[in-house]
Amino acid sequence: MPIQSSNISRRQLLAGTVAGSVAISGFPAIVRAQAKEIVIGGAASMAPWMNGTMSKSFEEKYKCKVTFEGTRSLVNLEKMQKNKDKPYLSVVLMDDPVMIMAVQEGLLEKLTATAIPNLAKTRPSAIHMEGMWANYLQPWQGVATNTKAVPGGMASWGDIYDPKYKSRIVLPSLQNTEGLANLVMAAHLETGKPIAEAQFDIEAGFKKIKTLKPNILTIYTQIPQAFNLLEQGEAWAIPSAFSSVVVPREKDKAPIKMNVPKEGIFVGPAGIALVKNNPAPDLARAFVNELLGVEMQTKLLPETYAFPSNVDSPSPPGIAADVKVHSLDWQFVAKERAAWVVRWDREMAI
Amino acid sequence: MSTGATSPAAPSAWRDPVALLAAPAVLYLLVVYALPLLWLLAKSLAGPDGLTLRPYVDFMSDPFNWRVIGNTLGAASWVTLFCLVVGYPAGFALARAGTFMQIVMLVSIILPLSIGVVVKAFAWQIVLRRDGVVSQFLVGVGIWDEPQRLLFTETGLVLGAANIFLPFMILPIYSVVKLIDPRLGEAGATLGATPFYRFTRIFLPLTLPGVVSGVAFVFSMSVSMYVIPSLLIGDRFQTLATLTGRSFLMMRNEQLGSTTAVILLVLAVSIVVGSTWLARRLGGST
Repeated sequence: MPIQSSNISRRQLLAGTVAGSVAISGFPAIVRAQAKEIVIGGAASMAPWMNGTMSKSFEEKYKCKVTFEGTRSLVNLEKMQKNKDKPYLSVVLMDDPVMIMAVQEGLLEKLTATAIPNLAKTRPSAIHMEGMWANYLQPWQGVATNTKAVPGGMASWGDIYDPKYKSRIVLPSLQNTEGLANLVMAAHLETGKPIAEAQFDIEAGFKKIKTLKPNILTIYTQIPQAFNLLEQGEAWAIPSAFSSVVVPREKDKAPIKMNVPKEGIFVGPAGIALVKNNPAPDLARAFVNELLGVEMQTKLLPETYAFPSNVDSPSPPGIAADVKVHSLDWQFVAKERAAWVVRWDREMAI
Repeated sequence: MSTGATSPAAPSAWRDPVALLAAPAVLYLLVVYALPLLWLLAKSLAGPDGLTLRPYVDFMSDPFNWRVIGNTLGAASWVTLFCLVVGYPAGFALARAGTFMQIVMLVSIILPLSIGVVVKAFAWQIVLRRDGVVSQFLVGVGIWDEPQRLLFTETGLVLGAANIFLPFMILPIYSVVKLIDPRLGEAGATLGATPFYRFTRIFLPLTLPGVVSGVAFVFSMSVSMYVIPSLLIGDRFQTLATLTGRSFLMMRNEQLGSTTAVILLVLAVSIVVGSTWLARRLGGST
């Protein structure tokens, strides 16, 4: 068979390319519908598993193309705000506090068990604002320790207050999502109330956490810096560290360890939601359903080091099935957080 | 006798065609510097019913914010002073060194500028930690009985920031010192001036323009540093720059961020302009 392309001049080729581009950009909905494409907005750190296991499996099953845009939660929110009239994202994966903002602006479509059957198998504490979004695989938070400095690990969140850890504890800032768990745990340690109740007694939380000041080496906003200090042995413990940061380093034989204290662990606010009026509604619902399903969550456990939200999924390695799992009321957090940060500056300053 | 009447009048800056060469730079600064600053100012003064000074009054009424201003000016002053004390003699040494040594010294000063601030800040973490070089040295010479913490202290911040800004003090001083005729000192000695008198009455006044430039560079960079305090002292030491960053990036409070940014700018410009004026006055009186 002769090669026909040799008859096409460069000018014709260029003209064809331009015409094609114009057609695609001018009629995205038609092209997308024909090509069965779905665009997902998420965090940049999700790219390895999202572009790998998740997309490959979904594309094969639903004969479509998944395009993942990895960035920050607030950037995804902006994308939705700016394209509200004609959304191009179909599904978003964002932190719960940003989900609340998206709900308030009417950018999300409610998840229902009819359209997404796996919602019925999702832990009730992982479904928020009557189904506006759900948590899927949540990085869990325990206490990270340096294995040389604290060979026995830490059995309780209260251990960090021991004077023997003077200037050896690194705390996340309240600006960081993971930092809030420490304030809530401090309230629990101060009052003895269950976490679900203690999280609303932030006054007690501040009273307790102020007593930690002699033990604080620094309060971080940059995760890599904090973990450098821990691995080098300058810091001995980081309470409320994310499993997605600690466990991979543990596997790489870094001298750090994630501890599951007796009071239990917190799970991070990793949410998934449908974008309102999205261009691929059927695929979008299927995508959310897959990620809430036991099969995909089990498959992704070794890659995400996270805690599954499907009740039938196994616990991550190293976590007992009966471990206490706490999650925060992010609506309450969203309302109060700015005031807490201002207070934190004043009370935790050097 | 005045020669002004006979010599050709110098063209004014507006009519001098050479001034046009600055047009691209002026335009660039207007777009990327002046306009955003005006936007910041407008944002900080915008109230629900028109212009208001309320954000400034609120900010200044909070004693904690005075502490933040104190942290900002204190850290910048210490960094500038440290750089001046270390950089002034270094500028002299550089200007008076032989050709080969001068190249070696210049490379040593300029090369670190090519390394990012984040990398340097991480390096300082290694140097300043309890088992780091500084701690071991101080224990070794008997100043400290046992290793102590330098990381995440104000001392650590000043040492780290000064390391990053030192070239900006040395180079302006060097550029002035190399223009000074070394024979001036010899002439002073011939006339019986002591080394101290020669330094204070000859060299110091002649080097003041370089000192003023160096101080202005280092102070304005250190008063607005953001990444360095974030990495070297953390969230427990708030400065106007870190507060501004947080207001925009985390709290999404544009008015507070604009207010702190304007206060920072006014403080920095006032201090730099004031110190320049003072230095010129002192220089002129000697």
